[in-house]
Amino acid sequence: MASAYYEFYRGSSIGMALTDSLDELITSGAITPQLAMKVLQQFDKSLADTMVKMVKQKTTLKGHLHTYRLCDDVWTFIVKNPQFKMESNDIIGAPKIKIVACKNGDAIEAGKK
Amino acid sequence: MQSQQQSQQPPHSHSQSPTIVGSSQPAPLAGPSTPGPTAVPATPAPLTLEQQHITAVEGIVPTLQNIVATVNLDCRLDLKTIALHARNAEYNPKRFAAVIMRIRDPKTTALIFASGKMVVTGAKSEDDSRLASRKYARIVQKLGFDAKFSEFKIQNIVGSCDVKFPIRLEGLAYSHGQFSSYEPELFPGLIYRMIKPKVVLLIFVSGKIVLTGAKVREEIYTAFNTIYTVLCEFRKP
Repeated sequence: MASAYYEFYRGSSIGMALTDSLDELITSGAITPQLAMKVLQQFDKSLADTMVKMVKQKTTLKGHLHTYRLCDDVWTFIVKNPQFKMESNDIIGAPKIKIVACKNGDAIEAGKK
Repeated sequence: MQSQQQSQQPPHSHSQSPTIVGSSQPAPLAGPSTPGPTAVPATPAPLTLEQQHITAVEGIVPTLQNIVATVNLDCRLDLKTIALHARNAEYNPKRFAAVIMRIRDPKTTALIFASGKMVVTGAKSEDDSRLASRKYARIVQKLGFDAKFSEFKIQNIVGSCDVKFPIRLEGLAYSHGQFSSYEPELFPGLIYRMIKPKVVLLIFVSGKIVLTGAKVREEIYTAFNTIYTVLCEFRKP
């Protein structure tokens, strides 16, 4: 079965670090590319699960919704001048952010039923 | 049919005859009233009532709240391409077989179907509705489709206003039973189906009125003028 998990966490700093390390190991001949693929797929799965189960921190955000899109069950939002209010009451701003929101694994399974 | 004619007086028959001011005094076109450097409005400054030949009873003119129009882009569309490349688009084929797209000026929403037919809602004037429809057609064109702009038609106009006095809905429902449906347990307003012009009115105790079902704005104005005399009869003491 093809991986049911999104691969976008590979683009995060932790994902990039993992990819770099795997590349190095492949180049030095320590592991096969097939094994590296396996590791990355496990990474996709683990991160998806972890984000659902372990991350309880919440934040609210306000800003100007510049663009939105819904296609293939993926929402994309471009928000200008967002203000994140963290649980610790810290406020963090940015000129522009892009939010990509996907259904989690359970929701994908539910959608198939 | 006879009772219909009795209760639905022609619009200009009552004593307070509405004044139609001709275009004798040409009002200045979109002039200094428009603020300078801010965002350019979708349409030039609205015409005065006189310019539009609008008849106002007691100075009340219904405000247009929504216009629904249809356009045929005359070209098959791949909705996924549109959803993927256009901004402010939603496409969830499991829920609804059209792309839902919005623009900010004129603030409207379009439903774009794979057949090339499109429904544009939310405009507050005929010109805005047409302009918005053209903008959507242009967006679709820019995505590489051979979209035309054909069969533009306004399908519905909704207006509203406030006569600023309370109304005895039971009395109105009783004496205009043929046109009225008043079920306060189901809906607090009286639904008045006028035959000429063919417009449906929602009349509320508060004196607020919603008019819908018109194809041209004059039907809204005529319907309001017609109902206004009736409402005066059923004014709460």
